[in-house]
Amino acid sequence: MRQSKRPSMSIRRQGERSWLPLVLLIVGLLLLVFHESGLLAPVERAAHYVLDPLQRLFSSVTEGTGGLFRTLRDVRDLRSEVEELRAQVDALKVENVRLREYEAEAQQLRVLLNFVSDYPISTYLGAEVVDREGGEGFPAGETVGGEPNPYLRYVTINVGAQQGAGVGMSVVSGGAGLVGRISEVGPRTAKVRLLTDTESAVAALLQTTRGTGLVIGEPDGSLQMRYIPQEEAVNVGDIVLTSGLGGLMPKGLVIGQVTEVQQKMYETFQTATVRPAVDFARLELALVVTGFQEVPLDEASEK
Amino acid sequence: MALIQTTALAGVEVLGARPNLMLLVVLIWAVVRGIDEGLIWAFFGGLLLDLLSGGPLASMALALLAGAYLAGQSLGEQVGSRAIRLVVLTVLGATAYHLTLLLILDWSGHAVDWGFSLLQVAGPSVLLNALLAPILLPSLTWLERVTGEEGLAL
Repeated sequence: MRQSKRPSMSIRRQGERSWLPLVLLIVGLLLLVFHESGLLAPVERAAHYVLDPLQRLFSSVTEGTGGLFRTLRDVRDLRSEVEELRAQVDALKVENVRLREYEAEAQQLRVLLNFVSDYPISTYLGAEVVDREGGEGFPAGETVGGEPNPYLRYVTINVGAQQGAGVGMSVVSGGAGLVGRISEVGPRTAKVRLLTDTESAVAALLQTTRGTGLVIGEPDGSLQMRYIPQEEAVNVGDIVLTSGLGGLMPKGLVIGQVTEVQQKMYETFQTATVRPAVDFARLELALVVTGFQEVPLDEASEK
Repeated sequence: MALIQTTALAGVEVLGARPNLMLLVVLIWAVVRGIDEGLIWAFFGGLLLDLLSGGPLASMALALLAGAYLAGQSLGEQVGSRAIRLVVLTVLGATAYHLTLLLILDWSGHAVDWGFSLLQVAGPSVLLNALLAPILLPSLTWLERVTGEEGLAL
């Protein structure tokens, strides 16, 4: 009698290869071990030659689909955001006037005191990095891929070794908000470990008090600034910047803003929750900082 | 599929959970076509995802292998409807996938917050993908019919 062609789930179990799970498991474990030991790095780089262009192609093709999902999500949040933004605009107008006064005052003081610093103020501000977008020192990168592993936070950008990007370089978004650091470089793409990845740790300081600490990514995507000495005053709203200590990244990149302070008198350090300056979900353009002036050792030791 | 997962679906979230196309296809294929083919799809699909990921190579391949192995078991073939059995096997397979992935990340030195990862990431993801499995089943059933009885040869 003729059997129906409609699959009835698991109808093809006859003749299954009992050795297959074991073989694939062993091969998988070997690959994992070789990857961890770095032996597979050349092979992985070669694979990137093939996959990178494909991923970029798919990224451009599927941009519309992603946009639709984003739009649906955005509509939900728009109403509350409008209200919040209106309030912020009012506050910022007032702050803007005050900052103009400060700016003029600072300008005069610098001239009068013949202010000399190893770190011109411009290097502390994001504006300088943004101004040099696409220039020789800061190749502009467009994010092309998201992290498929739900427990890691990376993005792929479309600049790689050929454009001068290298492992360890800092990546910033508009406004000099720190995005993260490059962890892996292909010929034309690079993987950026986001600030919010649990492996990320950045030496930081509070803009107002200059108190230092270490900003670490949390599993829920938030940031914690740890190891802030107890005597430092930490306030909600304080801006957190990179301190540049350790020489791994430029000083003065904006990490975020303190939203909560956890201080316990019996502990050596206090901890602050930091809201990232960058909206990683909407990150589209990024800048790679290929060169910067390191913090001198004497200043680092003073800190 | 790996490319779709890392581009079009990268930013998609439903109530905090992310649909995992590769996981769904591997699990459903293991259910429909048996362990062997499920494992092959899991291994090579997982490797592709690993190459597109910043995580350890073979981590997602091994995690998908664990999922496909469980989903391909002939549990309760005579009991319940096809859709219910698929949902149950997807829950089992997806749970195995997340547990294996977390174990490998933990082993390779990544900071893993087990409580948060299981409750806030794995749990919602398992539920969402289990709900999506019956929706994806017809298209894979069609593909199963088109590719014929022989399936994929090694």
